[in-house]
Amino acid sequence: MSADSTSTTAPEGRAAADGASLPGGNAIVFDHVSMTFPDGTEGLSDVNLAIAPGEFVSIVGPSGCGKSTLLKVASGLVTHTGGKVWVDRDQLGYTFQDATLLPWRKVQDNVELLMELRDFPAEERRRIAAEKIELVGLKGFENHYPQRLSGGMKMRVSLARSLALNPAVFMFDEPFGALDEITRERLNDEVIDLFVREGFTGIFVTHSIPEAVYMSSKVVVMSRRPGRIQDIFEVPFAYPRAPEMRYQADFSELCGEISLSLRKAIEG
Amino acid sequence: MSDTQIPADTGKHRRANIESHEATPVAPPPSVTRRLVTNLVPPILAGILVILAYAWVRSGLPPHRQFLMPSGTGIWELAFGIPDFVLELLRRSVTTMAIAVTGLGLSISFGCVMGIVMFRFLFLEKAIFPYLVVLQSVPVLAIVPLIQSALGFGFMPKVLIVALFTFFAVPTTLLLGLKSVDRNILNLFKLQNASWWVTLRKACLPFAGPTLFAGFSISGSLAVIAAITSELFFLSGEGGLGQLLMNAKIDFKYEQMYAALIMASVLSIAVYLFFKWLGNRLFSHWHEASGKQQ
Repeated sequence: MSADSTSTTAPEGRAAADGASLPGGNAIVFDHVSMTFPDGTEGLSDVNLAIAPGEFVSIVGPSGCGKSTLLKVASGLVTHTGGKVWVDRDQLGYTFQDATLLPWRKVQDNVELLMELRDFPAEERRRIAAEKIELVGLKGFENHYPQRLSGGMKMRVSLARSLALNPAVFMFDEPFGALDEITRERLNDEVIDLFVREGFTGIFVTHSIPEAVYMSSKVVVMSRRPGRIQDIFEVPFAYPRAPEMRYQADFSELCGEISLSLRKAIEG
Repeated sequence: MSDTQIPADTGKHRRANIESHEATPVAPPPSVTRRLVTNLVPPILAGILVILAYAWVRSGLPPHRQFLMPSGTGIWELAFGIPDFVLELLRRSVTTMAIAVTGLGLSISFGCVMGIVMFRFLFLEKAIFPYLVVLQSVPVLAIVPLIQSALGFGFMPKVLIVALFTFFAVPTTLLLGLKSVDRNILNLFKLQNASWWVTLRKACLPFAGPTLFAGFSISGSLAVIAAITSELFFLSGEGGLGQLLMNAKIDFKYEQMYAALIMASVLSIAVYLFFKWLGNRLFSHWHEASGKQQ
C-alpha cells in the first residue's frame, strides 16, 4: 500500500537504521495486531497497517478507539496480545499529550535529558541540544525553567528533546490538543518543516481532521473500540505545505470525505 | 470619550449600559515599608490581643493562684533577666536539641530508605504500610516505661522516643511524592530503557522533593516537642529543657517554667522554619507552592 507514495513523501526520507530487515522495506508494520487489556476490554482488534520510511501518517478515530494504544504498542510502552509489530525502536521519537518536561530542569537540560539517558558525552549533548533548541525557535530561552514558558513553547522543547536523538520514527500522541488554534497551526507548520528537514517517518494521532490532512501523506481512520483500520486516505498534496492550502477546495473536499468516514466509524 | 461613537440605541440595550466608565490608573507597586506593614501588623495585633487576654485572665485569678500565670516583669526579673539562668537555659537547649536532631536524623535516614524500598517493591509497601499506621497510633508515652526498662536512662532511649514521634511523616510523604510522578514522564524514561535506579534519581526523587520537605517540616516541629516530652520521664543525667520544666515545678519557680516553655517554642519554630527555608531554597525556582510564604 505504500509503494506508490514517493510523490508525497518528504524529499529526504530515510530508512530506519536497519530498514532492510523490516518486511517490504517499511518503517513500521502492524500485522494482525490485537490488544486486550488485563480487564478483558479489547483495545485493538486485527490492525493491519504498513508505513513506509518518510511517510507521515495521521490517525483519526472516535474517542477511546485505541489510537493512543496503537502508538503505545508500536513504541513498546504496552505489549500487544496478538499479531506482530515491526519497528526499529532504537531511534524512536515520542511526544505525549502534554510536554512532559521535568520542571526542575532548564530548557537546555530538558533537551539534554534523553541523550543523558543514552550516555552521550556531555560535550556532544550540549552541542546537539543547542542545535535543536535553535531549530525549534527557542534560542535565547536555554536557561528558562518550563514554568515560565507558554504551552506552545513547552511543546517545542518537547519536540527538540525528541529530535536530539535523531529519530528515524517519530510518534505524536495528540501533542497539540491543549493549545489554541493559532499556536496549533504554527506548530503544525513547524513539525512539517522538521519532517521535511530531518526526514523521519511520522505517525500522528489527532482529533482534528484538518490537522490530519494538512500534515500527512496518508490519513488512517480507525473504527470505534475495539479499534481497527476502517479507511485509508492518500493525501495528494506535495511537501512543504503552505497554510493557504487549508482554504483550497480539494483540501476541504478531502476533509469532508474523511469526516463522513469518521461519522460512519462512530455510528459503527 | 467625546469623540467615540456611541452606538445608536437599538432598544436591545438599556440606556444605563452605554455610560462611559472611568479608567482606574495602574496602582504603583507597594513600597517595602508598606509590604512590611501589611505582613507585620496583623501578627503583632494578634499577639497584643493574646497578651491582653492573658493579663485579663490573670487578673481574674485569686491572688493565691496567680503563680500559675506569672507576669511579664516576673518572667524578666526571675528568669530572662538573670544571666546565670539564661546560660543554663541555653545549655539545656543544646542538650534538648541534640536529642531532637539525632532522633530526627534517624527518622529521616531510615524513613527515606523505607519510603524508597516501599516504592520499589509493592509487596513491601503492602507489608509495611499498615504497621506504620499502627506505629503512629501507638501512644508513644505509654511505651516509655518499656523503653526505659529496655534501654535505661541514657541518651539513646530519648533519641528513640523522638524517632518514634517523628518517623511516620517521612516515609509516607516520600512515598506519596514518588508515586505522584506523571505517568508519561515515567513512559519517557521507559522508552529510553532507563533503569529503575536512573528513573528514581532523575525523575521520581526530584519530583518528590517538595512533598518530602513538607514531611520534614512536620517531623521537625514535632522533634523538639518529643525531645522535651522524653526528658520528662528521664530526670537523671544532664537534662535539657524538659528537666528544667520539672525542676521549676518542684522548686515552685513558675517564671522559669514559662521561660523554658518560651524557649521550647522558639526551638520548635526554628526547626520548622529551617526546613521551610531549605525547601524554598531547593525548590522555589520550579515548584510554585515552595516559593510562597508559609
